[in-house]
Amino acid sequence: MSKDSQMRAAINQKLIEMGERERLKELLRAKLVECGWKDQLKAHCKDVIREKGLEHVTVEDLVTEVTPKGRGRVQTLICSKTTQFCTLKQDLRLLK
Amino acid sequence: MKMEDMPLSGPDNTKLESLVHDIYSELVEDACLGLCFEVHRAVKQGYFFLDETDQESMKEFEIVDQPGVDIFGQVYNQWKNKECECPNCKRLIAASRFAPHLEKCLGMGRNSSRIANRRLASNNNMSKSESDQEDNDDLNDNDWSYGAEKKAKKRKSDKNQNSPRRSKSMKHKNGELGTSVTSEPYKYNFNTGISYETLGPDEVRSLLTTQCGVISEHTKKMCTRPALPDADPVVENDGFDIPDGQTLMSRLQWEDSPDISPTDSASSKASTNHSDSRRPKKKKRPSLGLNSGGGGGGGGGGGSSSLTGGSSSSQSNISLSTKKKRPKLSAPSIPSIYDDLN
Repeated sequence: MSKDSQMRAAINQKLIEMGERERLKELLRAKLVECGWKDQLKAHCKDVIREKGLEHVTVEDLVTEVTPKGRGRVQTLICSKTTQFCTLKQDLRLLK
Repeated sequence: MKMEDMPLSGPDNTKLESLVHDIYSELVEDACLGLCFEVHRAVKQGYFFLDETDQESMKEFEIVDQPGVDIFGQVYNQWKNKECECPNCKRLIAASRFAPHLEKCLGMGRNSSRIANRRLASNNNMSKSESDQEDNDDLNDNDWSYGAEKKAKKRKSDKNQNSPRRSKSMKHKNGELGTSVTSEPYKYNFNTGISYETLGPDEVRSLLTTQCGVISEHTKKMCTRPALPDADPVVENDGFDIPDGQTLMSRLQWEDSPDISPTDSASSKASTNHSDSRRPKKKKRPSLGLNSGGGGGGGGGGGSSSLTGGSSSSQSNISLSTKKKRPKLSAPSIPSIYDDLN
């Protein structure tokens, strides 16, 4: 398994070097906003804050509450995006 | 997740898939975290709930989605067929026409003052115009349209054709014809080829009795400014017992300088016309060969007229500058010229 993790690390590093990671990140963010994922999640945050009280909310609270929901939503919304990732990985592997 | 091109072998596929999945989920987590930080900061800074006011105003400004109505709930052509009562004339006017009507009614707009001035000018020329005034009132209401304005202008020029001024100039001829001269000019609208040489002396006299008669150098048109009110046939006794030529000269000196057309003191033709125009205004006696227009006195007349031109231009220059302050000074010099001729 260390080979995998090695490979993973190598690929990650390659991505960062190429600047692809940043590009992918921005692309993902844009897509999320477009789909309305961001607004929905924000509304969820509002509920959480109202629950907890405006003054006492912390980042950790938000993260723990929001992230799983966000992830689930993303899966449903943006499946096609992953093909891009796939092709990228292909190239990386070939390069290696 | 679906992979499209997979030239690789089986186990690698799955590994690849998992790799991709891992990287993907990392990115998603990054996005979520970014959102959380943003919200948390907004909450702490106090601007997170700014776009939410109380429930009442939220309901008030909610987006409307009904047919026939825009998103604010307003109807598009609500005021199309409404009629408003004018506070001035108490008439019911259609809404789209209300503003121009008010402009005319209250007399406070760009167009209304223009129309009023025009009306005043035309009324000054006409003696009896009851019905015409009424027509003007009706026209004024629609005056914004180009067609109506054209009609108004045309009508006005028609009016002037029958004005008393016209008939006056006709009567003035004392039985002589000279109708060719008066296709009655409206300011500067005279025949372009006019020149005093072509007209007979009587025609010129009659023409110049009623109008200024100065021919512009630039446009070659004759000024149709009406004669001065005090220019009626009253012999003005200056107290001078001098022959006609000198009378003419003295009269020239006492004329108002603004009467002199701005274009003419240089050219001899214009200035001779100037002298001719001056003379008939004061006295109705026939000219003595100082009339340059007529075939007149032949060589002598021609000579005198040219001299007249020269001296009159100097005269006019003097009178312009000194404003009637030196008539007596220059008078002695002129008789000398005429003494030689006479």
